[in-house]
Amino acid sequence: MPATARRVLITGVSSPLGARLARRLADDPAVEHVVGVDDRRPPEDLAQRIAYVEADLPSGRLASALKLAAPQVVVHHDVVQFPEPGRTARSLHDLNVVGTLQLLAACGELPGLQALVVRGSAAIYGSEPDAPAFFTEDLAPAGPAGATRFQRDIGELERLVAAFARRRPAVACTVLRLQPVIGATLDNPIMRLFRAPVVPTFLGFDPRLQFVLDEDAIGAVAAAVHRPVRGAVNIAGAGTVSLARTLHRLGKRTLPIAAPLYGPTVAALARLGGLPPMGDDVVRYLRHGRGVDTTRMERDLGFTPSHTTAQAIDAVAAAERRREAAAA
Amino acid sequence: MRLLGSLPLARELGSVARLVAGPLGGDFEEDEWGYAPGFVEAATPLLDFLHDRWWRITAVGTEHVPAAGRALLVANHAGVLPWDAVMTATTLRRAGAGGGRAPRFLVADQAFGLPWASVAIRRAGGVAASPHNALRLLHQDQLVMVFPEGARGAAKPFAERYRLQRFGRGGFVELALRTGAPIIPAAIVGSEEIYPKLGELPGVARLPVTPTFPLLGPLGAIPLPSRWRIAFGAPMDLGGLGPEAADDRGTVLEIADEVRDRLQGMVLEQLIARPGAFR
Repeated sequence: MPATARRVLITGVSSPLGARLARRLADDPAVEHVVGVDDRRPPEDLAQRIAYVEADLPSGRLASALKLAAPQVVVHHDVVQFPEPGRTARSLHDLNVVGTLQLLAACGELPGLQALVVRGSAAIYGSEPDAPAFFTEDLAPAGPAGATRFQRDIGELERLVAAFARRRPAVACTVLRLQPVIGATLDNPIMRLFRAPVVPTFLGFDPRLQFVLDEDAIGAVAAAVHRPVRGAVNIAGAGTVSLARTLHRLGKRTLPIAAPLYGPTVAALARLGGLPPMGDDVVRYLRHGRGVDTTRMERDLGFTPSHTTAQAIDAVAAAERRREAAAA
Repeated sequence: MRLLGSLPLARELGSVARLVAGPLGGDFEEDEWGYAPGFVEAATPLLDFLHDRWWRITAVGTEHVPAAGRALLVANHAGVLPWDAVMTATTLRRAGAGGGRAPRFLVADQAFGLPWASVAIRRAGGVAASPHNALRLLHQDQLVMVFPEGARGAAKPFAERYRLQRFGRGGFVELALRTGAPIIPAAIVGSEEIYPKLGELPGVARLPVTPTFPLLGPLGAIPLPSRWRIAFGAPMDLGGLGPEAADDRGTVLEIADEVRDRLQGMVLEQLIARPGAFR
């Protein structure tokens, strides 16, 4: 981190991962002051340790609060792929695209801003059968293209950040493209799927998957706060693990379904309450998977996740077994 | 059933069915590419059966395949399913060549959309045909196998078998120049008779089937038992040109033509050496 960059502002500070990131930065002796922005109140312990600004990003009433906070680093962590409490499915597009637009407009008026770190997603590459086995950062579609709503939104978001980076060359703008985050305490569609009684898979397909453990996802953002890198950086645990082996390690039973019947069957199971709703990105990921190249993460960001993909899966499996044993 | 069981052919087919079912059901350690040595091991009886008895493969020049370090095998190609790549790997293993390494091969994109086949191909060492995959594999000092005819090779009619199609833009030469990998031409004869494409059947044109398909249904996907020969040529070392040459279109296309001519010559040699397509 630049020696003078001691004030850090985080958007989406009240989400589970955002709150953990804020705690970590608040514990960091190199960080003097943490300002959290969200339209939901952060957990009480956190609210006492950081300055909390209640603001709804897409509404755009952020400029004056941002000026007052005068951060040297802005972490845009309020980029949301799946609905969660306080983030309905309908609001996601507004939040991801309009929210980013408003935040960048407010950042444009900050003279002391040195770095912008955006929590993006490897979903920008999509999941395709003929895709390269390891996407490098230059292989993202140039514009808002893609098979799913989130993929198009995240493409639009990155375009906005790139335009901001061109306008403000003094600000180092980093976009972290995270592979799906897993963790025993997380509640996202992939974790809900891992906790379902059976996991529906595509008959005859066994994609290569890549994950990042939640603590490594936080570690990667913290690394970028300390050492901003210009442009996009893929974030993932080393290696890939096939879906069949992932579910085997988790001790899950599978329900293979022929591709044309997958959608209706999963929808019916969801209505019966046996399955969580998954979303297009997850469904495509379960069919074709995705791998990313992490050379930039190691070399430029100087970050190596504590867990490989296989170790992240094992860590989640161990925690889930402990949880089930405690419940029994 | 007892009557059928007494027939040698039925017994053979029964054991082949078990050979096929074994590896597909298993659970295997995979590397980051999804390559599973355990899968290949489990499939070895089937692969050896195909190599020795179904296609009766003769291999020559296996000593040209280096035991270590990156290298680019460049071969002629036909058909949607990469039997040619899998049999090249089998023949190298049987000959103890290539340092015991399985070649990693680039497969036409469409094969990766097929259920089961895509998984089997990946576990056997196949990756989607993308220069990014080939570059990463070569940087990892792997033996990489490419089929520059690509989809044009897979789609050519039976009458044009063993006539090498255009080598595209010479992408494989760029790969060799950028990574300093030697090019080893590999001529495969026999693979172009296993799924003869006699005509255009809408909807079926891209499926791996023999002309028996309309009569026999799914059994039409069983490849015909042609006789194969695989010949490996002496490595062509482009290291002297340096990686900058990869940006010189003229040089790249010139080398691509040279490789194509050499490979076409090798294919003809092997055709002459073969007693007959199905004998």
